[in-house]
Amino acid sequence: MSGYDRALSIFSPDGHIFQVEYALEAVKRGTCAVGVKGTNCVVLGCERRSTLKLQDPRITPSKISKIDSHIVLSFSGLNADSRILIEKARVEAQSHRLTLEDPVTVEYLTRYIAGVQQKYTQSGGVRPFGISTLIAGFDPKDNVPKLYQTEPSGIYSSWTAQTIGRNSKTVREFLEKNYDNDTPPESVEDCVKLTIRSLLEVVQTGAKNIEITIVKPDSEIVILNNDEIGKYVEDIEREKQEQEREKSKKK
Amino acid sequence: MGSRRYDSRTTIFSPEGRLYQVEYALESISHAGTAIGIMVEDGIVLAAERKVTSTLLEQDTSVEKLYKLSDKITVAVAGLTADAEILINTARVHAQEYLKTYNEEIPVEILVRRLSDIKQGYTQHGGLRPFGVSFIYAGYDDRYGFQLYTSNPSGNYTGWKAISVGANTSAAQTLLQMDYKDEMNVQEAIELALKTLSKTTDNSSLTYDRLEFATIKKNKETGQIYQKIYKPDEIKELLIKTKIVKEDESKD
Amino acid sequence: MDIILGIRVQDCVIMATSKAVTRGISVLKDSDDKTRTLSPHVLLGFTGEAGDTVQFSEYIQANVQLYTTRENVELTPQATASFIRQELAKSIRSRRPYQANVLVAGYDVNGKKPELYQIDYLGTKVGLPYAAHGYAGFYTFSLLDRHYRPDMTQAEGLSLLKQCIDELQKRMPVDFKGVLVKVVSQDGVTEVEL
Repeated sequence: MSGYDRALSIFSPDGHIFQVEYALEAVKRGTCAVGVKGTNCVVLGCERRSTLKLQDPRITPSKISKIDSHIVLSFSGLNADSRILIEKARVEAQSHRLTLEDPVTVEYLTRYIAGVQQKYTQSGGVRPFGISTLIAGFDPKDNVPKLYQTEPSGIYSSWTAQTIGRNSKTVREFLEKNYDNDTPPESVEDCVKLTIRSLLEVVQTGAKNIEITIVKPDSEIVILNNDEIGKYVEDIEREKQEQEREKSKKK
Repeated sequence: MGSRRYDSRTTIFSPEGRLYQVEYALESISHAGTAIGIMVEDGIVLAAERKVTSTLLEQDTSVEKLYKLSDKITVAVAGLTADAEILINTARVHAQEYLKTYNEEIPVEILVRRLSDIKQGYTQHGGLRPFGVSFIYAGYDDRYGFQLYTSNPSGNYTGWKAISVGANTSAAQTLLQMDYKDEMNVQEAIELALKTLSKTTDNSSLTYDRLEFATIKKNKETGQIYQKIYKPDEIKELLIKTKIVKEDESKD
Repeated sequence: MDIILGIRVQDCVIMATSKAVTRGISVLKDSDDKTRTLSPHVLLGFTGEAGDTVQFSEYIQANVQLYTTRENVELTPQATASFIRQELAKSIRSRRPYQANVLVAGYDVNGKKPELYQIDYLGTKVGLPYAAHGYAGFYTFSLLDRHYRPDMTQAEGLSLLKQCIDELQKRMPVDFKGVLVKVVSQDGVTEVEL
């Protein structure tokens, strides 16, 4: 109450940096994003903002962006903020290639993005980025899937499966129940299915409001179209119905 | 109390994670004169209504809501014209710089994104208020053909088939949703734009001195793109032709 | 005395660059690649001051790749060449200009046509059917003037190139260790044996 939450990013007497905490609220208001690691792929999925009537689907920006040929990023929070951070990340990725003759590793890029976000919590006259990000990819010449998260505070962490944004609590509970760290989804299809199933926990409108991107080793990035996602959704619904039927039979 | 403690500076989140200054800027735009953009197969129509504050104001000489940004992009403005002017200057310079670098016309989305990035910057960096202006961009490039975008003070942008910004936008949008058809041509789009504006205007009727109008069309044979910002006389004619205004009414 | 030669034929552009790296009177390497792939359908070949050339080309490469990631679309060969020209034009007016001459070989996927541009360190850009920098042109332009046709096939183009290289090997006072040949067509950039 005494103005410790007004000056941009200073400690309050009880040790809070309010602006960073409030930025996390902006993240929670953003549409949901999910990342799931498979044995040989990483899948990023997100809830697309509901497309209004008369919106032009050809030219409405996607929420999953390629940072370099082997890394993609999804976010929750303020759309406009994400563009700025993505642009910085893309420049860094090319700059790294230029100076070191090697593509960035996923962890390096995550650390860079988190570093930029941290800088905006400690510099004068700026507010923090109102976004969290999920970063997915493979290191160059490597087959180990990588999935990281960054937050407005500049904290970053590595995950087997993670979700951010609106309703992420529900989705995380679902993932915790359905994802086994010792036996991650074997095939790409299983991984995509788990991602979509987790999103369907909170996305009511189904396939047309879901985006899916798959990253495989050697810079193979696959973006699923609406029909492909639709098929997965149908399969999931059918399985659900069958399960319920069996349940009622047993009764 | 309430919001008061978080609205004095733009660069600050409220406890709910909102940016009040941006929301207030959006609010200010909802009082500005309405602008409408309609995209169809063979072109785009932009129409805007300006608020006339006094009868003594010279209406015929000044254009304040429609601006050409490049040979293939026109923009309609809703909000603070003075703020808009700054962004329009930047956009014009950027469009020419792109042309100079690549010897190709700037793709519409790149220009839209560039301006939106500037708008975003004013919501994050210290001590500045956001731009109090929304745009409707109408443009053409080889990748996507005709395109229609809006951008607002937050720095978000979206692509549309038909859209309105400014005062009475929800009423206008409902009308557009009802009457927009994918297979319309420019002539029909012109009529729809005028009809929508005449129904949503706060004044008793739509008159030529309150209206600004522009079209972008493609010549089918040559592929050439033509942009036209209408002169007051042409708007007068247009209103009569589309029967939005009866002839005797416009003579006064 | 690096060799760089480009020939634009009916549906592709052929680019040949010498494989020798020479310092003073010594040949340091005989398997050099004096090209960089800028995007799937654009190849850059370079000669000039050693160091400058690679630095400049990779700087261009990074920028073109950045554009591709950002816009999710390839720059056209024409736009790429214009961008390079502007960078060299800026460079010549700086304190320490790049001494790099380049050829840009590209295939315009939308217009479905091959394009070849010659750009020198002064920022002179010309679109040409065949082009070279340095000494290579002196020995080969007579052959190209006589035998080139715009409707040549890739095979015909390669055999004309072979004639040019034979002439260079016969007349040049130094051994340039043969050439690396790449073809840019609708299918992208491929290395070919001459």
